[in-house]
Amino acid sequence: MGKGRESSALKDYENQPRPDSHYKRLLLRFVFLTTACSLIPLLLVGWGINGHYTRFAKSRLIHSLETQLADHRKIIELFLQERTSRLHLIAWTHSLAYLETGNNLESMFTVMNRMDGSFADLGVIDAEGSHRAYAGPYDLMGKNYLGAQWFNEVLEKGVYISDVFMGFRQVPHFVIAVLRIEEGARWILRATVNSELFNALVQGMQVGKSGEIVLLNQEGVFQATPKFSGAIMGRAPFSPGGLHDGVKIETVAADEKNAPSRAHHQIVAQTWLDEPRWLLMIRQDYEEALDEVNHANRLTLFFLYISAAIILVVTFFITRYMVSVVKKRDIEAEGLNNQIMEASKLAAIGELSAGVAHEINNPLAIILTEKQIVADMIGETRRLEKGFKERLENALAQITTQVKRCKRITQNLLRFSRRTTSVIETMDLNAFIEEVIELMEREARTSGIRLLFDPGESMPPLVTDPSQLQQVFLNLITNAMDAHDGKPYGTISISTRHDPLRDGVVVKFADTGTGIPADKITRIFDPFFTTKPVGKGTGLGLSISYGIIKRLGGEISVESEVGQGTEFTISLPLSAPLQANGEDANGRRSLSPE
Amino acid sequence: MKGSRILLVDDETVFTENMSALLTARGYRVTTANSGDSAIQALGENSFDVVVLDLKMPGMDGITTLKEIKKLGLLTETLILTGHGSIDTALEAVKLGAYDYLTKPCEIDELVDKIEGAWEKKDTGEKQEMMETVRKIVESPKSVYGVYPRDKKNK
Repeated sequence: MGKGRESSALKDYENQPRPDSHYKRLLLRFVFLTTACSLIPLLLVGWGINGHYTRFAKSRLIHSLETQLADHRKIIELFLQERTSRLHLIAWTHSLAYLETGNNLESMFTVMNRMDGSFADLGVIDAEGSHRAYAGPYDLMGKNYLGAQWFNEVLEKGVYISDVFMGFRQVPHFVIAVLRIEEGARWILRATVNSELFNALVQGMQVGKSGEIVLLNQEGVFQATPKFSGAIMGRAPFSPGGLHDGVKIETVAADEKNAPSRAHHQIVAQTWLDEPRWLLMIRQDYEEALDEVNHANRLTLFFLYISAAIILVVTFFITRYMVSVVKKRDIEAEGLNNQIMEASKLAAIGELSAGVAHEINNPLAIILTEKQIVADMIGETRRLEKGFKERLENALAQITTQVKRCKRITQNLLRFSRRTTSVIETMDLNAFIEEVIELMEREARTSGIRLLFDPGESMPPLVTDPSQLQQVFLNLITNAMDAHDGKPYGTISISTRHDPLRDGVVVKFADTGTGIPADKITRIFDPFFTTKPVGKGTGLGLSISYGIIKRLGGEISVESEVGQGTEFTISLPLSAPLQANGEDANGRRSLSPE
Repeated sequence: MKGSRILLVDDETVFTENMSALLTARGYRVTTANSGDSAIQALGENSFDVVVLDLKMPGMDGITTLKEIKKLGLLTETLILTGHGSIDTALEAVKLGAYDYLTKPCEIDELVDKIEGAWEKKDTGEKQEMMETVRKIVESPKSVYGVYPRDKKNK
């Protein structure tokens, strides 16, 4: 059993106009373009905003570092200024005689130091450098400072804050000294700053785990104990550089050689104190300083890249779907294209055949006249013996037969190419078929074939072209009868039924003829295809019928088994589409006799 | 009818020659024309019983020739014999007044049948026309008097 039309999957494959590789390339191209168009802006914006924010945050951080350092410097300076003021007050409101006497200096020291304990000791030194009075834990009464740097400095400048030095007590300390000129005599009031307290003050700023606060003099000697870089009074591994106003911030590269424990990229902020000329410096690991910013930065980039990945994945799937739609459309378009090409091919064949048919009729007519002339001559002559004459006449009769056959062929061709106006009417299908059967009954009976009709019940009226439909039915019955060639008897069963689901009717023509072999059945509706022996069929009947049924909006299919018979199934809509009304495959209306 | 005058119009000279010979052998008097123009000319010079006309000819085609023939107002019947056949042109020809329509190739006997039929029609037509003329003469005496010279005495 074979089906009359190919399966749609096969048709799809045949209709795919471009190979799969084309669609793969298309997919890649689309994915590339789409992701480029969506990812590039996303990434640019993401990076842009992120970068901008990072720069902004960093500059804010640095600014805040600046401010902090400036504030811290102010604190240290204020501290020193205040202590200096205190000493100045005492020196200039008390006489040397007073301070020398008894416990005056001691009580003064106690009161002066009560609030914060910022002084370690207090001493009065005369212009010769000798201690005149002393309040403090160290045994310094006999010591002389003539020639000491701080001594000379204070005599010169009147107020002096020293760098850290060891001095007689052999402990790193620094002093604040104030000069008093009392009635021509000069004496010095000197106090040692409490190192611990001062260190605590200097270090009392938040610099994180990796940060350290450094106080250097102009020679690069530590004035306070740093956390990492060395010891108080030691040489710093970094130079203080030149004097400058304000806060200077710079980043320094990792310095493995000089500070092996601090081999990191660092941020350094420094500012010079006015009095004394000390450099206050903060050193912090660059990474730690900007930790928060970097963290935010990383988080943003993470989400940015996740979004980009999502876009990429979604784009890929969407594009794949789109390409499959494109492919399907291509296949559909190609299928339609092929149909159009088929139709125009058929139309071209039709036109060509019409031309040929017309042209051939004239020579055929002439052949018949020549044959008639010869026939007349043979008829008249008495010079031919009977048998000879008979053979001649038979030959001439054969000429006539063949010419008539040519005529039938050309007529069929013309009918094939003819674009008739069809007249759409409402008709009763069962009654119509009965009429058709009546037309063919006599001819069928002579061939020993019975025509059976099984009319469907409650058949709705059919709106279609009766003359064209009649042509189809007659063609099918004629074919069915021809299929019984050689068989002594047979039946042709015609049945109709209403198909409410598809809103149409179904007509079946089943015969008990020789059947159509499977290899031929797919071509049965092709024009000029015939299974009949040479000279018997034109191969146009079914192709014309197929065209008619299609134009009437229906479908025709065939099933057959060799030796058993064939069944044609026609389905028609209850109402023929408008196109059946006189328009051919090219949409042209035919000429109508007017 | 033996001796009927046939005008055979077709641009294929071999066809007209052969057909002329065959029809002549069957007792007709055949004149041939190979174009619409020469056909009209022939109809002007002689009278014919039946015109056998092809449709597809160079110059004036069959339908135009048919129209021209009808314009002449003759009783001659026209038979269309053509290889370029279609229902449409057949209907058109019949509407224009052709007696019948045959497609080439056709057997001589078919053609003779149609020619006879056409002749019959023409013959009947002629007879009717004659009867008409006679009736007119009989029914209007004045015109008969007009034939004889007036006699002053008989006034």
